[in-house]
Amino acid sequence: MKRRCRAVGEWLRRRTGCDRVWETLFARHIPEAEGPTAWLYTLGSATLFIFVVQAVTGALLAMNYVPSPDHAYDSVRFINEKVLCGSFIHGLHHFGASFMVVLVVLHMLRVYFMGAYKYPREGTWMVGVVLLLVVIGFGFTGYLLPWDQKAYWATMVGTNIAGQTPFVGPLVSKILKGGGEMGASTLTRFYALHVLVLPAVVLLLIGIHLFLVVWHGISEPPERARRRGEGNPLG
Amino acid sequence: MADWHQDYERRYKELKQKGKSFFPYAVFKDCLVAFLLFGLLAFLAWKLGAHLESLADPTDTSYNPRPEWYFLFLFQALKAFPGSLESVAAVVLPGAVFAALFFLPLFDRGHKRHPLDRPFLTGLGVLAIAGVTALTVEGYRSPLVNPVVEKNPEVVEGARLYRQLNCAYCHKIRGKGGVVGPQLDRVVGAESPEWLERHFRDPSAVTPHSAMPRLGLLDDEIKALTAYLKSIANEPFTQEAPKLFAENCAVCHKIRGQGGEVGPDLSTIGSARDKSFIVRYIEDPAKTNPKSGMPAFRGQLTDLQIEDLARYLSSLGR
Repeated sequence: MKRRCRAVGEWLRRRTGCDRVWETLFARHIPEAEGPTAWLYTLGSATLFIFVVQAVTGALLAMNYVPSPDHAYDSVRFINEKVLCGSFIHGLHHFGASFMVVLVVLHMLRVYFMGAYKYPREGTWMVGVVLLLVVIGFGFTGYLLPWDQKAYWATMVGTNIAGQTPFVGPLVSKILKGGGEMGASTLTRFYALHVLVLPAVVLLLIGIHLFLVVWHGISEPPERARRRGEGNPLG
Repeated sequence: MADWHQDYERRYKELKQKGKSFFPYAVFKDCLVAFLLFGLLAFLAWKLGAHLESLADPTDTSYNPRPEWYFLFLFQALKAFPGSLESVAAVVLPGAVFAALFFLPLFDRGHKRHPLDRPFLTGLGVLAIAGVTALTVEGYRSPLVNPVVEKNPEVVEGARLYRQLNCAYCHKIRGKGGVVGPQLDRVVGAESPEWLERHFRDPSAVTPHSAMPRLGLLDDEIKALTAYLKSIANEPFTQEAPKLFAENCAVCHKIRGQGGEVGPDLSTIGSARDKSFIVRYIEDPAKTNPKSGMPAFRGQLTDLQIEDLARYLSSLGR
């Protein structure tokens, strides 16, 4: 039995290189962070975890949701009242959105105050800023989907604000709403953005972001810079 | 400038070798945090759930739009920029902040990393956090723009039925709907609830030759539809109401170009305020709006006159 297991492992290793993937991703050494600082380094992975929660609950919600003004509200009510664990899953997705925003911002503050965006991690930071925008985009497009009063009027305000952009505003507002007024085409557009476009974009960006994190190694906790001529000039 | 890059790489390599393996030391912390976060998330989802308000009603202009809480600071900041400057606060400013964040590593290229060695950027960050927090708190405390109109559940149910039965194929409410039947907001006010209920049971019994089909509704549904229609109807006012306005209000307020300049133009007030709000305002403006310079009319006019005036005003602009 043991020998057969080892043979299967060997077969997989030869064909996928999974041992090297493991070494690169998990068996790599990272600079040691001490005390509470070490916990600040969990914010990024926590964001990734909540993203997975959002993806799973989002897929479950999409199974019962209908993106049309005639049925959207009733389908969400159906999810809340009739679907097995529906209100719990809807609740996870609802609060998960807030968690996402909070965690992304905390993660960014950690990197900002530690100066971790500096050489050689500039690209990681820039992709991260775009990821923050995408998360906000998720929040904005998802807010409309229940098609209740709150959803409708907050989106009305949001699209009106977008419409105030100098020069391109009216065009942007028209593209977002799918016409001059909010209605069926606004809802389908927001739905398509929320479940097709943004997930594709976010997966690509997360891929790049994680690749860069592993490639450069996680940044070390910053130390005070020492005065010139006093030991290591870097600190 | 860039001469510290190589030194940094050398030092980072040393630190890395002295450090521990990512698995299991960091992974354990990550998993623990994820576990605790999921516990909190599940608790919130289970205890509070995702609250659903009533169905979106594009005709309800008295609704107070509130953004999701993490946009509240932006919402609040908008209020500080009046008129045409609003686009600065709404788009230009956030755009500039994001551009600055995006290009930050290209501007700040020195080797210092510790927050205390970068007092300017650290201070800026702390200021930004303080500002956003203050604006969010202020946003929560600031009063709602529109009065909260308590909705009768029967009316809400009636609105749902109106939509479900596709009444709008034939009837118009506030300019939206078909042309086969009468415009409901104009005609319903004149009918009694009893008449409406009989009408829903059998249209041709009260209106001979009516083209409207018998809908076969339950008693509850008839009650709900009646309540809804009563809520959208303009309640009838007497011919005294415009005269009352001319005598008491026109000194300060305009309606369709006629009247004074002191107070706001009331030509379309009915699209923004409902009758009960207007009654309260006429009775004692200071209760609703402490800054108002308008005198209280309770005692000056009878309750009946105020009701009449409010019905007239709430019909304007609808």
